[in-house]
Amino acid sequence: MQRRQNMLPNKSSPSSSSSSSSSTANAKVMFPDKRPTTKQMKSSTLTNAAGLSSLITFTVLLLAWISGFASRLFAVIRFESIIHEFDPWFNYRATAYMVQHGFYNFLNWFDERAWYPLGRIVGGTVYPGLMITSGSIHYILHSLNIPVHIRDICVFLAPIFSGLTAISTYLLTKEIWSAGAGLFAACFIAIVPGYISRSVAGSYDNEGIAIFALQITYYLWVKSVKTGSIFWASITALSYFYMVSAWGGYVFIINLIPLHVFALLVMNRFSNRLFTSYTTFYVLGLLLSMQVPFVGFQPIRTSEHMAAGGVFGLLIFVAALRYLRTVLTKSEMKYFGGVVAVTATILLLILIALTYAGVVAPWSGRFYSLWDTGYAKIHIPIIASVSEHQPTTWFSFFFDLHILVTTFPVGLWYCIKHINDERVFVILYAISAVYFAGVMVRLMLTLTPVVCMLAGVAISKLVELYLKEEDRDDRNGTESNEESEEERERSPGRALYDKAGKLRRMKHERPKGSGDGLGANLRNGVIIGMLMLLMMFTVHCTWVTSNAYSSPSIVLASYSNDGGRAILDDFREAYYWLAQNTPNDARVMSWWDYGYQIAGMANRTTLVDNNTWNNSHIALVGKAMSSNESAAYDIMTSLDVDYVLIIFGGMIGYSGDDINKFLWMVRIAEGEHPQDIRESDYFTERGEFRVDKEGSPTLLNSLMYKLSYYRFGEVKMDYRTPHGFDRTRNAEIGNKNFQLTYLEEAYTTEHWLVRVYRVKKPAEFNRPRIPISKRVITRRANSYISKKTARRRRGFIKGRPVVIKGQKPQRRTT
Amino acid sequence: MRLVNRLFCLLFVFAGANAGGPTLVLLDNLAIKETHSIFFKTLQDSGYVLTFKSADDANLQLSKYGEYLFEHLIIFAPTVEEFGGALSVEAITEFIDGGGNVLIAGSSQSGDALHELASECGLEIDEEGSNVIDHMNYDVSDKGQHTTIVADPVNLIDAPVIVGSKDIPPLLYQGTGLIADSDNPLILRLLSASTSAYTYNPDQQVKEYPHGVGKNTLLIAALQARNNARVLFSGSIFFFSDEAFTSPVQKGQGGQRYEKSGNQIVAKAIAQWVFKENGVIRVSSVHHHRIGESQPPVAYTIMDDVVYSIDVERLSGNKWVPYETNDLQLEFVRIDPFVRMTMKPVGNGRYEGRFKIPDVYGVYQFKVDYKRVGLTYLYSTTQVSVRPLQHTQYERFIPSAFPYYISAFSMMGGVFLFSLVFLHYKDETKSKSE
Repeated sequence: MQRRQNMLPNKSSPSSSSSSSSSTANAKVMFPDKRPTTKQMKSSTLTNAAGLSSLITFTVLLLAWISGFASRLFAVIRFESIIHEFDPWFNYRATAYMVQHGFYNFLNWFDERAWYPLGRIVGGTVYPGLMITSGSIHYILHSLNIPVHIRDICVFLAPIFSGLTAISTYLLTKEIWSAGAGLFAACFIAIVPGYISRSVAGSYDNEGIAIFALQITYYLWVKSVKTGSIFWASITALSYFYMVSAWGGYVFIINLIPLHVFALLVMNRFSNRLFTSYTTFYVLGLLLSMQVPFVGFQPIRTSEHMAAGGVFGLLIFVAALRYLRTVLTKSEMKYFGGVVAVTATILLLILIALTYAGVVAPWSGRFYSLWDTGYAKIHIPIIASVSEHQPTTWFSFFFDLHILVTTFPVGLWYCIKHINDERVFVILYAISAVYFAGVMVRLMLTLTPVVCMLAGVAISKLVELYLKEEDRDDRNGTESNEESEEERERSPGRALYDKAGKLRRMKHERPKGSGDGLGANLRNGVIIGMLMLLMMFTVHCTWVTSNAYSSPSIVLASYSNDGGRAILDDFREAYYWLAQNTPNDARVMSWWDYGYQIAGMANRTTLVDNNTWNNSHIALVGKAMSSNESAAYDIMTSLDVDYVLIIFGGMIGYSGDDINKFLWMVRIAEGEHPQDIRESDYFTERGEFRVDKEGSPTLLNSLMYKLSYYRFGEVKMDYRTPHGFDRTRNAEIGNKNFQLTYLEEAYTTEHWLVRVYRVKKPAEFNRPRIPISKRVITRRANSYISKKTARRRRGFIKGRPVVIKGQKPQRRTT
Repeated sequence: MRLVNRLFCLLFVFAGANAGGPTLVLLDNLAIKETHSIFFKTLQDSGYVLTFKSADDANLQLSKYGEYLFEHLIIFAPTVEEFGGALSVEAITEFIDGGGNVLIAGSSQSGDALHELASECGLEIDEEGSNVIDHMNYDVSDKGQHTTIVADPVNLIDAPVIVGSKDIPPLLYQGTGLIADSDNPLILRLLSASTSAYTYNPDQQVKEYPHGVGKNTLLIAALQARNNARVLFSGSIFFFSDEAFTSPVQKGQGGQRYEKSGNQIVAKAIAQWVFKENGVIRVSSVHHHRIGESQPPVAYTIMDDVVYSIDVERLSGNKWVPYETNDLQLEFVRIDPFVRMTMKPVGNGRYEGRFKIPDVYGVYQFKVDYKRVGLTYLYSTTQVSVRPLQHTQYERFIPSAFPYYISAFSMMGGVFLFSLVFLHYKDETKSKSE
């Protein structure tokens, strides 16, 4: 209690960062608190001690929740309660539709405004967990007469779920190590940037709830392996079902859990508990996951899910074998090794045959790109074009995890050192997540929870080691006490498996604990150093959250030299213009990044959007963008395009604009139309992509270039730069004075960030005139010079006044 | 004043539905009004209000306050180099783009303005001074240069709606030739020269290859723009003259003599066509619904049987009457047409198509795109969305799945029985052993 009072001055400072630091500090303090508690346990009543312990646990978790929630609100405070980025806009639109029309209509929702003219079956191509979650929160609140707008629920859903993630991380860490480590882990996950990046307020995306579902599923799985009860396994399956309905990352679970089971089998750790929990989980989980319309029959028809089935068969096989061993004699058992191998080979062959026959779908492209990082770039440019599918740099590991990235191997080492069933799980989790996070930036998200857990283990171990000195005198008593405590936590049957590990740990601890080389000063120094590091971690987390992850990206902010802030609201300006000034059924062509936003904010029909399910349709749009104007016009008329929307950053130096994305459009178009579009045409002879005079003529005449730089050549922003100076690419544009034939500028926003063009209808090209260059009959240029003036408006008839028939006047000579 | 003008404009708009209407006639000199009196009389008789002006009049204007003062324009001023007043080639092309109809006659002395105007419409008038010359088919009245040629009605375009009957006396023609832009699909070659004709300056020796040779040389050509505005070019103002209307025709190298040329008949027909008395059709209404229903649904479902019907009308005099044909086609399009069929006429200008929507969901269009020579374009699209089956619309009990149903239910029953037996049996053994 004393410690908590000490924290008070800290808490009084208003910023959310300090509150998050206080909670971490609180967690550090928690372990020392535990010592007196155990002492008290002897002296005073048991209930009191347990009450204090749970009060501390409760307080820490609550503070973790609050600080996690608070630190995610930067975007709301700086900007407004708004949905961020791209995918969240679709999720929001779908949620709003569901709330308005009911669940069944949502399930059957055929969205004719997306992917014109193909349409999209939203109900069947979406993970509905997110919408159902916020929809049910909305329903509950409204039935309690709390009128909250669905948008606010969507904005704040991810921060709220971050608290639940912290709690489930605590539970999972407690299961695999100790409550103290759990509290550390919970505090870490609450503020770690790697998780905040996908769960700030307004980032209304699947990942926001999926990480919670992931952690709780793992917790329940570990719990069910520990207890071996059907109850926990069924709960695991239910939680898995929630995960399946929420995020495509459920494939990670359905491969990791079988991997865990397989590893346990290989390590000869088979038990009836394992058998019960896995068979129950697999069968129920399989059936439940197939209830999600988007998943459907995938769990039995795609390669990603085959491992789970194989392990299921193997487990039953091993169980049968073990049963037979009790019945048969040892000599008979010898043959079974061969039988196992033969059966496994046959099963594998059947699987391969089924894959070739097309019954089982082979690995999808996204999965190949997990093994071969260069695969996507060659075969599926659309996957490679997404920035979050790029390989992770070392920088971003440190940026997202800070000191956890160094402490987590320590925790991993401890787990390997003191191995047991559930620690095998966390080791596998850690190793696979590290690999995947290295392949794709996006999968950093799955790494973050396990890093927090293992860092929690490491730091709690460290703190335990260096704070223990204070109660050295009654050390032995505590040790035995701790053991009994630990034992009490586990089921009685577990002692058998833990014995070896435990003995080792005691051996390992003894030399350190009894080594008197560690003086009080050293211990305090280490603890203070540790606290300093954690403090810096907190500061780093707050800084990263505030600077890197709290931008809504549809509203941009720029800072001037005197610190003043300017808001660039061009996106919403353009979308609002579309909503107000175009017919309701107008079809807007843009690159797919902006599809969801156009649908969400402008409520207009789009051709392609961020749900990149149809590569050839995207390639068609890419082809239109990278062709010249007349070829693009043919594509646009065949797709009934009314407006074209492009993002242009050259005026204000915004680097995420369409010209910078242009090469991806070319690549994607080339993948489908190699005879019309060639990437090499868009580079200069020296292989450079440049927009100035030396740029390739194909690029300078492409539709995207023309739409981006239309009338830009007239703009002079600065007396130091020439006309038409592109500030993003630091170049003077190469094609300045051109006219558009088939399109006309409809709207350009204040900072030229979004430009909207109207596509002329064929009827507007009323009569194809013969251009002068194509005329067969050449006439002398200026054969007649106008004599009309403002005052004398009379025309000229050369035959006037008399026309003498049959006689030709003299030919005019020049 | 402005109000009066407004009223006038309104009047003109109302008059638009009728045959006739305000027409501006631009002339080289007012003498043409007399030399072409029969043609103008025919027009005036059919209700056109003709305003004669000299082409270089300083007060010419086609529109006032954004409204057009005239519906039609006749330019019988071949030698005009520059129009007077507010009129210019640009103003005339704007007039065409605004839906106005223009009849233009040139001559071998055609001026710059007409050349420019023709090029704007996808045609070219041959060089100044050149004539259509035909050494085989010239009229007996020809003075020796073989420029007064006799055009065979066989060379008229095969579209009665524009030129009327082809069974008429030959046509007299004297003037320059026209060359059409071969890429322009909107050009109608109303009257082409015979195979032995060419265009050249009859006073000069033939040194270069003539621009127009044989059938490539057009005598009368028209453009129906995409907004249905009609523009007609004739290389010969003489074609519309009283002299050509009334003079007898006989080929110079002998042949049958006709007392009167066919010019008047053709001139009247093409004037009616160009001023939209003939060949104007429109869609009056479109209906579509599922078979057995009467209202269109919010969205069709795949594999629905659907009825589409369209009413087409034709302008006849002042009234819209049903348009009867048997080649009206319907397309059901999602980027590409999935269904293309000829609709059945069910009488009274209504056409009907019945088909089954394909098993592909998406946003479709019912599209009728009817383009026939001489008729205004008929284009109608109706967008509908076709959605996949709802979750309640799938078959519930599939016959091929009956073995699975049976196995599932027998399993459930078996487990139930087994548990009963198991529990019961346990109790018995316990009690027995005890």
